[in-house]
Amino acid sequence: MKVALVGQPNSGKSTLFNAVAGYRSLTANFPGTTVEYAGGRARVNGEVIDLVDLPGLYSLNPANPAETCSREFLLAGDGDVVVNVVDASQLARSLELTLELLELEAPLVLCLNMMDEAVRKGIVIDVPALADALGVPVVETIATRGQGILETFRMAIRLQGKRPSSSPRAFPYAPEVEATIQGLAEALGAGGRTGDASHGQDFLPEAGQIRQLDNVRPSDEAAAPCVVAEPGTTAEGAAKFPGLRFRALQLLQSDPQRVAQLDSATAEAAESAQMQVAKHLGQPADVVISSARHSACLNLFERVARVARPRTDWREQVDRVLMHPVWGYVFLALIFLGFFRLVFDVGKLGEAHILAAFDGLIAHLGRLLAPSSLGFAVAKGALLGTAGAFAIVLPYLLPFLVGLSVLEDAGYLARVGYLMDAVMHRLGLHGTATIPILLGYGCSVPAVMATRILTSRRDRFVAAFLAVLVPCSARMTVIMALVGFYLGAYWALAIYVLNLVVVALAGNVLARIWPEVAPGMLMEVPPYRHPALRVVLLKTWWRLREFVVVAFPLLVVGSAVLGLVEFLGWQALINSALAPLTTALGLPTAVGLTLIFGVLRKELSLLMLAQALGTTNIHSVMTSAEIITFTLFVTFYLPCLATLASLVREVGRKLTAAAATALLVLAVVLSLLARGLLRLVM
Amino acid sequence: MSKASKSDSLLSLYQADGHSALRIRLISGGWGVRRNLNQMGLHVGDVVSVVHRAPFGGPLVIENRGSRVAVGRQLAEKIQVEVIL
Repeated sequence: MKVALVGQPNSGKSTLFNAVAGYRSLTANFPGTTVEYAGGRARVNGEVIDLVDLPGLYSLNPANPAETCSREFLLAGDGDVVVNVVDASQLARSLELTLELLELEAPLVLCLNMMDEAVRKGIVIDVPALADALGVPVVETIATRGQGILETFRMAIRLQGKRPSSSPRAFPYAPEVEATIQGLAEALGAGGRTGDASHGQDFLPEAGQIRQLDNVRPSDEAAAPCVVAEPGTTAEGAAKFPGLRFRALQLLQSDPQRVAQLDSATAEAAESAQMQVAKHLGQPADVVISSARHSACLNLFERVARVARPRTDWREQVDRVLMHPVWGYVFLALIFLGFFRLVFDVGKLGEAHILAAFDGLIAHLGRLLAPSSLGFAVAKGALLGTAGAFAIVLPYLLPFLVGLSVLEDAGYLARVGYLMDAVMHRLGLHGTATIPILLGYGCSVPAVMATRILTSRRDRFVAAFLAVLVPCSARMTVIMALVGFYLGAYWALAIYVLNLVVVALAGNVLARIWPEVAPGMLMEVPPYRHPALRVVLLKTWWRLREFVVVAFPLLVVGSAVLGLVEFLGWQALINSALAPLTTALGLPTAVGLTLIFGVLRKELSLLMLAQALGTTNIHSVMTSAEIITFTLFVTFYLPCLATLASLVREVGRKLTAAAATALLVLAVVLSLLARGLLRLVM
Repeated sequence: MSKASKSDSLLSLYQADGHSALRIRLISGGWGVRRNLNQMGLHVGDVVSVVHRAPFGGPLVIENRGSRVAVGRQLAEKIQVEVIL
C-alpha cells in the first residue's frame, strides 16, 4: 500500500517520515528545501507501507517546481492514502490545503502535528469536532518525539480503499459557483477527456515549470519520479481520484493566461466558466474561490479551536535581538564568524591528521613499486587525489554541513534571508541567496549545494555563480601566501575588495541578462525550533554522500592523470600549449602547469608554483606585478573540479559550461587590466 | 462609505508603521501575486500586524493569526491596508 505525505513547508512532514522510514530523506526548516521526493518503506501492524514524502506545498496551485511535482503526484492518483500533515500551531492557515485535498476525494488522514507548539501558543483544538466537520480521521502527533505516528499509519491502513465520508460539498461554494463547476465538469467529461483525468500535467502548463521538472531530482533510486502518471494506467486511474469536479475547480481558478494555452475546447469552456463567475460575483474567479475557501477555513477554525492567551516565551525575545535593525546584523556577523572559526579549527585538525596518514601511505607505496615506474607515478597521483578529497574537503565539509543543518533546522537561515534581502536585491537576488554566497568564503562545493534552497532556476544559477566567484578558503591560502606574504596584508585586502566589486558587478550584469522574475520576497518565518539530532545527522550524511559520489572519482582520476603527465614528462608540452595565455599575462611560461593543477585543487597552484619555478622564494623570480597578476588569475579563472561537479548537479551542464567560460574570460580580462595598471604604478 | 473616503483611509502595507492591527483591503497585481499571498494565508479582509521591519528598504515581517511571513518591499507596496488600531 502506498501512502503519500502531504503538507505545507515546515509542518514537520519530513520529521514524521524520518521517524518511520529512517535514513532516506531530508528534513528542513526552510521553506522549499524538501525539493526532492523521498521514498521509504515501513512496516506497521504487519502491513508494508510504501511512503512517499512529497515536497512541501502551500496549495494545489503550484508556485515552484517542487510544488508542481507534489501536485502531479497527487493528481496521478498514485497513492492509496493521503496523509495530510499540518502544523497544529498554524491550524487556521493550514486547513486551506486540507480543504483543497478534500476536493481530491481521496482517502485522507489529517495529522495534527506539533501539538506541543499549539499548546504553547494557547490553541485548544476540539479534535473530534474537527474530524466530524471534515469527515476524515484526525490524529494528534508530536513527530519530533515520535508521538502519534503509529496511530497515524494505523488509521491510514484502515482507510485504504475508502473514500472520505464527507464529500467536498460539505464546504460548498456559492450556488452560482457550484453550478459553474458542475457545468464545466460536464463539458470536460463530454469532451472525451475522462481517460486522462488523472494525467494532471496536460491541463495546466505552468510556463517554464514543467520543463524544469527534470531539475527536481528524486532523492534516491527508490524515490518516485516526478511525472507519475503513465498513459497506460489511466483507464483504471480515472475511476479513482481526482474526479472531474476537481479538474473543473482547478481550471476555474487557474491563471487566465495559462488557460488560453490549452486546447481550444477546454480553453473555451474554462474561459466562459471564469467569465460567468466573475459576472455573477464581481470578482475574478480565482479570488472568489480562494476567498470562499479561506472563509470556510476560518469558520471551521472558529468552530473547532479556541485561542487562549499565548504564553510569551523566549522566542519572542530572541527575535527582538536577532531581527533587530542593528543588533540583528551584529549577531549575524558574529554567528557566521563563529561558524567559520569552528569549521576551520575542526578542519585544520582533521586535515593535518589525514594528510600525515596519506604521506605514510605514499612512502609505503614507494617501497612496493619502483619509484621511477609508470605504476608508481599513476598510483601516487591517485593517492594524492584521494588524500585531497579526504583531507582537504571532508574535514571542512563535515563540520560545515552539520553546522548548516543546525542553523537551518533551528530556523535561523530564514532570519538571515530577512536581514539580507535589501542588500541582495542590489545583486538581483533575494535575501535567501545570502547563505550560498557567504558559504562561498568557506568552500565553493557546499555553497553551490546550498543554492538548492532557492526556488527558481534563475536564482539558483545566479547565486551559484556569485558563490563560486567569491574566493574560497583554498584561494584564500593562495592570496595570503603570495600577495599577503610578499607584498603585505593591504594588497591581499585589496584583492578581496576587488573581488567584492566584481561580485556586485557580476550580479548586476546577470540581473540584466536574466532578469529576476519573482516579485519580491515572500517567505514564511518559522518559529525557532530545537534541531533534532537524528534529523541533522541524517541530512549531513545525505549531503555528504552526494558529494562523495560526485567529487571523489573526479579527484582521484584527475590526480592519476596528472601523475601520468608528470611521468611522461609532458609538463613542457602543457606549458607551451598554455604559453599564449601566460605570455599575454606577462607570466613565466613555467606557471602554465600550475594553472592546470589549480583546477584539481586551488591550493595546488601554490604548491606547484615553487616546484615549477625551482625556488621557494617566489619573489626572486617573479616581480610584484607578476605575483599580483598570477594571484588574480588563480582567484577568478575556474572553480576546482569538485565545484564544477556540484555545479553540474545543481544547474546542469549547459549553465556550468557558460559559467566556466564566463569565469575564464573574466579572469583573463581582470589579469590583463591589472598587468596594464600595475605597469604604470610599479 | 463613499468611494473617496474609502480610498483615503487606505495606505500601502509598506507605509503602515506603528499600528497593531491592519486590515488587508486590496491586493493589486496579477494572478500570480494573489496566488502567492493567498498561499501564505494572506487574503483580502485579513487582519495583520507588522512585527519587524528590516532597514535599507528591506522586507517586513507580518503576523497573521500566529504565523509570520516576511514580505519584500515591492510586494508590501502592492497590498493596501486600512488601519484598525
